[in-house]
Amino acid sequence: MSGRARGLVWLSSLLVIAGTIALIVVAIVVDKDHPLSTLSPVGRQGRDIAELINPIFIVAGVVFFLVQGAVLALWWRYRVSGSETGDGEYGYYDDDEFPEQTHGNNRLEIAWTIVPTVLLAVISVFTLVALFALDDVKASDEDITVTVIGQQWWWEYQYHLDGDTDTPPDFVTANELVIPVGVDVALDIKSRDVIHSFWIPKLNGKRDAVPGRSHDWVIQSEEPGRFRGQCTEFCGLSHGYMKMVAVALPTAEFAQWRDNQMTPAEAPVEGTPAGEGWATFSQQCASCHVVNGLTSAANRGGAAGSPPDDWDIYGEHNGGSAGPVLTTELVAGAAPNLTHLMTRGTFAGSAFDLYLNAGDHIPYLELADSGTLNRGELEAWIYNAPERKPADANDLRGMPARTGLSPTDIDNVVAFLSTLD
Amino acid sequence: MTVTDRTITAPEETLALPAGPAIAHRPLGVFTRPQGSEGWRSWLFTVDHKRIGIMYGAAALFFFLVGGAEALFIRLQLATPNGSVIGAGTYNGVFTMHGVTMVFLVIMPMAAAFANYLLPLQVGARDVAFPRLNAFSFWCFLAGGLLLTSSILVGGWFQNAPDGGWFAYAPNTGLLFSPSKGIDFYAVGLQILGIASLVSAINLIVTVLNMRTPGMSFFRMPVLTWMLLITQFLLLFALPVITVALFLLMFDRLWDANFFNVEAGADPLLWQHLFWIFGHPEVYILILPAFGIVSEIIPTFSRKPLFGYHFMVASGIAIGFMGWGVWAHHMFTSGVGPLSVAAFSVSTMFIAVPTGVKILNWLATMYRGRLRFTTPMLYAVGVVSMFTIGGLSGVTHAIAPSDTQQTDTYYIVAHFHYVIFGGALLGLFGGFYYWWPKAFGYKLSEAWGKASFWVMLIGFNFTFGPMHILGLQGMSRRIATYRADEGFALWNMVATIGAFVIAIGVAMFFWNVYASTRNWRRAGRPDVGPDPWDARGLEWMTASPVPEHNFDEDIQVDRLDHFWHRKYGKDESGRVVRAAPTSEIAHDGSNTNVHLPSPSYWPIVLGGGILLVGYGLIYNLWLAAAGLVFLIGAIYGWILEPADDPDAAGHHDDHHDDDDGDDHGDPDSNGGPSGNGESASADEPAETEEATVG
Repeated sequence: MSGRARGLVWLSSLLVIAGTIALIVVAIVVDKDHPLSTLSPVGRQGRDIAELINPIFIVAGVVFFLVQGAVLALWWRYRVSGSETGDGEYGYYDDDEFPEQTHGNNRLEIAWTIVPTVLLAVISVFTLVALFALDDVKASDEDITVTVIGQQWWWEYQYHLDGDTDTPPDFVTANELVIPVGVDVALDIKSRDVIHSFWIPKLNGKRDAVPGRSHDWVIQSEEPGRFRGQCTEFCGLSHGYMKMVAVALPTAEFAQWRDNQMTPAEAPVEGTPAGEGWATFSQQCASCHVVNGLTSAANRGGAAGSPPDDWDIYGEHNGGSAGPVLTTELVAGAAPNLTHLMTRGTFAGSAFDLYLNAGDHIPYLELADSGTLNRGELEAWIYNAPERKPADANDLRGMPARTGLSPTDIDNVVAFLSTLD
Repeated sequence: MTVTDRTITAPEETLALPAGPAIAHRPLGVFTRPQGSEGWRSWLFTVDHKRIGIMYGAAALFFFLVGGAEALFIRLQLATPNGSVIGAGTYNGVFTMHGVTMVFLVIMPMAAAFANYLLPLQVGARDVAFPRLNAFSFWCFLAGGLLLTSSILVGGWFQNAPDGGWFAYAPNTGLLFSPSKGIDFYAVGLQILGIASLVSAINLIVTVLNMRTPGMSFFRMPVLTWMLLITQFLLLFALPVITVALFLLMFDRLWDANFFNVEAGADPLLWQHLFWIFGHPEVYILILPAFGIVSEIIPTFSRKPLFGYHFMVASGIAIGFMGWGVWAHHMFTSGVGPLSVAAFSVSTMFIAVPTGVKILNWLATMYRGRLRFTTPMLYAVGVVSMFTIGGLSGVTHAIAPSDTQQTDTYYIVAHFHYVIFGGALLGLFGGFYYWWPKAFGYKLSEAWGKASFWVMLIGFNFTFGPMHILGLQGMSRRIATYRADEGFALWNMVATIGAFVIAIGVAMFFWNVYASTRNWRRAGRPDVGPDPWDARGLEWMTASPVPEHNFDEDIQVDRLDHFWHRKYGKDESGRVVRAAPTSEIAHDGSNTNVHLPSPSYWPIVLGGGILLVGYGLIYNLWLAAAGLVFLIGAIYGWILEPADDPDAAGHHDDHHDDDDGDDHGDPDSNGGPSGNGESASADEPAETEEATVG
């Protein structure tokens, strides 16, 4: 390679390196519109983690520049071009072309063994302190405990306002976890089928939901807001569509929300579209979906009045053969509890927005009143859910299609759902 | 003692007996040895470690294309939000197969290619300890690789591909949650690959321990030999663990066992522990061979001995040991308890120390050297630079609390690609360029090599660099798509473009192989000489390509870098000077008197039997039974096979002909496809190219 070409390689590689670094800096500094970002935490635990890791990022960055700088400096300083002898290609050295033949230096070796060891020992002390502090999840200063249950491919939240997870929950909701601002809310994370992982990046790190196990975790937000989450343990076909939202409300608003959630739904007036919709819903949907005050155990295929916890999650579908994993008490049924569907901003495992003008523009408690329903998406979902969000082909998991419903039926079902606020 | 007794009682007859009658006894005609060392058939039956190494390399490059195509599909799907290039089901199969292919069918066999080709040469041996087992390792690997890869096609495009991720966490891999045949292919395929690697590991360990040339003590072995030896020990102890896990999984799926059935009381963390007790040493199985290759290349092109040889060996051993004590850092969020998390967090951090020692020793080797940036050197320095990035990000997620934010995000994807692509794969490609003239007798083009390196390196950084940012911005792994309002679009598009730049770089490598081969043939196949880079190891002390018998005579080694010190000495003033011309020291391959193991039919037959058993387990147990009969037959054939075939006139008897050319009296040897009109000596390289390109 000629000197000119070599210079071009140098120039271009330097440009590439400088450009990349500039882009990274820009990307990190301008961390807007990244609702899942770990770089701008809002929760106490998230901030503790950031405070621990940010100095380590800086140390790592310094080591990065030292090593890369050393590589480039050595390259620049000690490179030689092709030999005059041989056939002129690189790799042929002249017989007398020798640098000093050093074999090693024990002091240096010991030094660069000990220095990183000490550095890492210091880091590990900070790590362990933070680790045990973060793991102290019983530090909750309120009694509220939420049992978080992952299943393919959505999240169920069972609120125990007295913190006693051994008794039935006070109310059950799905996908959107609402917490009061500034309060450490204890989570009891479980799974009904495969392993999932509960993660609201702006609030805290993730914790796996493992069938047969119960994991304690805690979540807290310093500010009101809506924070996105994503299931982060691969959980099968629709893993990518298994999302969730955490909503932090000021204490008074949280109380208002809580009281509303504890209210059962009222039956719509017969003869209205909503009434027709309820009739369709009770035949087509209520075998899985619970609406407090309307559906009953009979809807879900069990004997009337039978306790819901010995109901097999997939029993209806797999003909009572060897049942699937069922390791936590089943309160909502095999699908999200829809009693207050319209108070949520998203549906279908938070994969879709329930309101077109949702998000941060409308106070959370006013969504049902002021939101513009994302009617097209909701109707498409009711008609053929597996087309909108991949579900298992044999209908064992995910919401089955209801392509037998006429457009009028679907309009009526949506009218019924709209009353669930 | 008994020998002496027998000699006394029956002197002449007993001594004369062994060869004749025993060999004459051939139950069924097939139990002779195959003949000839030319033509494509001879590749099927070869037991030559060099040909087996070349076949490992060729197969790995083939699977590299498969795994690379899968990567491109992943990047196409993720290029834009709400991607719909491939559906979620196919996507899960594609990313699972990408991981499985790249780990088990690309990096591991590429390292096996170097281990097979170079280990015997570097320790001055004639072949590996068990040549037929070595051939069996390859065919068994190929059987497992083809079985796994065929899952993409059988029953429809990605209908039966494994879809549980390469880590295959229970219970998602149970029959209820993954009803296709995919996980069966995974469980059976990886068990077959495990047999191949295990057999190979034992073979290579015995080779290094027992077959070193006189004077080659442990601390005179090249660092590559050391790293490969450590790798084989890691394989020896890690593979049984994954085999147990796969065995249990297979029983769960095929015969309704309950090892991972939560309803029956199983704890899914059992699988995670078993998988990662294998899975973390596996990471070092992937990277240590590349560390060894880098440790060979940098001294050669710095014109200095490796800095801190003993520390390089010791740090490799330290990594090998510490690699067993860090597995649960894959499980920081799994709920293993704070004490376990604390212990594994700290142990993981400290594994950075021996790795750092290696990086610094490589830099110290370059310090004050005369650095020639040939293609192999570019790749080696690329490893130093890129692996450092992967190592540093590794430390950041050894910090367990921050790992709860990073794990299962693209930050991890970025990290391990910097380690496995930026470390292992770049190192192995550097090895291709470096030892290509040794294996095939000509160099690959430097111009194409350098261009391809830079394209690959730039593409690599544009693909995986942005993934650090994506991960910290919260993008999870293994999601088939993402919402437009999650803010991941920009860097995903950059990464996708980068992936196609890598593809161009890889295509340039393959073009380089083709064009360099063609140019070398057109130029009349000039001899590259035994030692084209003026290097240090024993492998450069014999002709290129290496003759079948490796060395003309045993080498008496008297120090580390023996070959180098034969070439160069010091004069009175302490200056390094040429002591003797390379041509006088290096062997020319002219000794035809070296005893070599004969080819054998049985390794490939045995491999075929295992393939049948594999498909049989998945689809029909009767087929498995037939495969078992086949397999047992092959084992008997193997045992009954005569040590040498008396019919192979002068070709594969004790005094082996090294195919030097002029005196080819044996008609069998002219059967090769490229034999006509060319000198016999040119046949062997011609075949090796075909094998590599194919």
